[in-house]
Amino acid sequence: MQKVFNNKMAIFLFVFPGILLFSLTFLVPIVLSTYYSFRDTLAPGTPSAFIGFANYTELLFHDTRFWLALRNAVLLGLGFIFIQHPIAIFFAIMLDRLGGKAEKWFRTIFFIPCVISVVVISKMWLSLLDPTFGAFNKLLDTLGLGFLKHAWLGDSSTALVTMLFILIWAGFGWGLLFYYAGLKGIPDEMYEAASLDGASGFKLQLRITVPLLSPVITVQITLAMITALKQMETVFLTTNGGPGDSTQFLAVYLYNKAFSASQYGYANAISILFIVVCLLATYLSNKLTRSDATEF
Amino acid sequence: MVMNTKATRNLLLITALAAVSVLSACGGNDQNESAGSTNGNSADPAAEQVTLRVFSNLPDRKSGQGLAEQMVIDNYTKENPNVKIELETLAEEPFKNKLKAYMASNEALDITMVHGGAELNTLVQAGYVKELDPAGYEGETYNFLPGVYKSFTFNDKLYGLPRNSDYEVIYYNQKIFADNGVNVPATYAELLDAAKQFRDKGIEPMSVNGKDLWSFAAFFQDLVIRVSGDQSLMLDAVEQKKNFTTDESFITAAKLLGEARDAKLFQESFMTADYGASQNLFTQGKAAMWYMGSWEAGMATNESLSEDFRNNVAVLKFPVVDGGKGKDTDLLAWNGGGYSLVSSSKHPEEAKKFFDYLMQADQWAKTVWDTGAAVPAQKYELTGTESGLQKQLTDVLTGATTTAGSLGLDYGTPKFKDDGQNAFGKFFAGGSTPEELLADLQKAAESQ
Repeated sequence: MQKVFNNKMAIFLFVFPGILLFSLTFLVPIVLSTYYSFRDTLAPGTPSAFIGFANYTELLFHDTRFWLALRNAVLLGLGFIFIQHPIAIFFAIMLDRLGGKAEKWFRTIFFIPCVISVVVISKMWLSLLDPTFGAFNKLLDTLGLGFLKHAWLGDSSTALVTMLFILIWAGFGWGLLFYYAGLKGIPDEMYEAASLDGASGFKLQLRITVPLLSPVITVQITLAMITALKQMETVFLTTNGGPGDSTQFLAVYLYNKAFSASQYGYANAISILFIVVCLLATYLSNKLTRSDATEF
Repeated sequence: MVMNTKATRNLLLITALAAVSVLSACGGNDQNESAGSTNGNSADPAAEQVTLRVFSNLPDRKSGQGLAEQMVIDNYTKENPNVKIELETLAEEPFKNKLKAYMASNEALDITMVHGGAELNTLVQAGYVKELDPAGYEGETYNFLPGVYKSFTFNDKLYGLPRNSDYEVIYYNQKIFADNGVNVPATYAELLDAAKQFRDKGIEPMSVNGKDLWSFAAFFQDLVIRVSGDQSLMLDAVEQKKNFTTDESFITAAKLLGEARDAKLFQESFMTADYGASQNLFTQGKAAMWYMGSWEAGMATNESLSEDFRNNVAVLKFPVVDGGKGKDTDLLAWNGGGYSLVSSSKHPEEAKKFFDYLMQADQWAKTVWDTGAAVPAQKYELTGTESGLQKQLTDVLTGATTTAGSLGLDYGTPKFKDDGQNAFGKFFAGGSTPEELLADLQKAAESQ
């Protein structure tokens, strides 16, 4: 076996299929996308003209919708990091404390939204929040809060917040799962030692659990940022970026430019900037959250 | 070293096997292709099997136009047992997007449903649809009404055939009006007044598919026609022969549109309602009116809807505007939907045969009319068994004194359509004034 791995030809043959797949599904599209981003075209196969950086200058300096979409994506990412994840950590700790049958039950319940198809989630929230027949507004009515009744997703003043809520809810289970797994890896002796030193309750969690979870948190923050930037399905299926661009997100905007507006070259310029933004976000979140993992 | 070469050889063998199986799969397709092109006599049951791929925007095959389309397909496959039709259907908006994706990858469809105007223009520029010879569709067999090719003709060449006469109307539920003592509006002021009365009673006045945005543009165009009495004004503005921001008729129409917004004419959830959601609201008796096109004639005969609704659904012409020059017989009509032959078809001859069959006046046109699904773009005979809704729709069309020929949105490039739609989206989300709406439309027309 050792010999096989010493042979360059064998190594090449083992690695080649993977490299080929990676090239065809990642590198080639990116190269093609870059090519199209410098052209003015309706779609592949239609007449196209080289227009230099025109798509990029339009995008960066004149397109307010692009910046709005980016802002919303960043807001979503921050929402994930500062709302969803602290709650997920809190629930993970509670779940860990619970123990027994209840722990198993709640673990399953919290993870349910992650198993449901995005289409179902989107349609479910559309129905729940519908101002005419939606259960949520009915609930407000019965609670005597009828004055709060509202087209939650259909009004530009509340659409974004509602959308953030839905997305945070839908992705909550994943965060919980990761933190819960991280918690299970922390040895009990750490807690015992801390208790002996006089730490308890909130302080114990803050000083012991959170630092020991930091490798998980680092990964989670990076993933959260990327998930936020890539957000597409739920938005597309509920508001399609509306009303009036209030829930416009990068991927939805990109999709509509490419397929509804037939500005294929322009859409490719968006996609290239999209890649740059994602790389930048990954780099930054890695940089900001880097800490020396505690060994135990 | 021996083991080494053995491993390498095994790997190569596996790779070669994989390659062979991939290649043989391609070969299978080639065989099909030759079967299609050499197949002369389609009525001969012994003829080689051909599978035609048809892409349609009618997912409901049990009622309305989907049923009509399915009936024609069934007729054809019965007469031509060697032809199998592989049908793919998606709802309106996903359909449009997937068709673009198919175009981009030059997918070998045989026949596809197309939307005339901007959408079809993109397909034409990509060379994805075939040019048709108009001479081949003259005469009794096809019986197309005059002027229906407008949205299917680019640079004097024909690229598809229209399947319907489309025009915007207001469907309304007579029972809801009667039960609440609201008069059926004949003027725009009365319409807004009716909206207020319904609102006071907690009933949604008018349902609209606001998420899809195009209905707003049609509504606006209806207003422009009623104000100016000029069918071509909107189309001229799209072509920049007129100016959205300075023409008085546009300013008045935009203000009237603002009144509809402020009077809450549309259902509360209108900005998130897609086609199906807006239709359900109306057909389930939750909204008094529905702003939609003539292609929904099938509602009156759709057995899955309540009998109560079917007996009470009626058609209203878009109301006149006080002081406007337009009459209620100036109709916002066009030919939007149709079919085209796909250039990359693997069975071009068989595809054309089915296409021609589909477009015969005694196939699609007759079936769609007889089933009460829509108003065809071809001459049709009244059978005497039409539903009340169909008769009303026919009266609207035959009584029309002028028609638009195209939706304003579809008269420009796809970019204009997208920007224009978004201008309306912004307007109805409450983010802009009538003046800003017109400025946005003007900008969209200039930058297309």
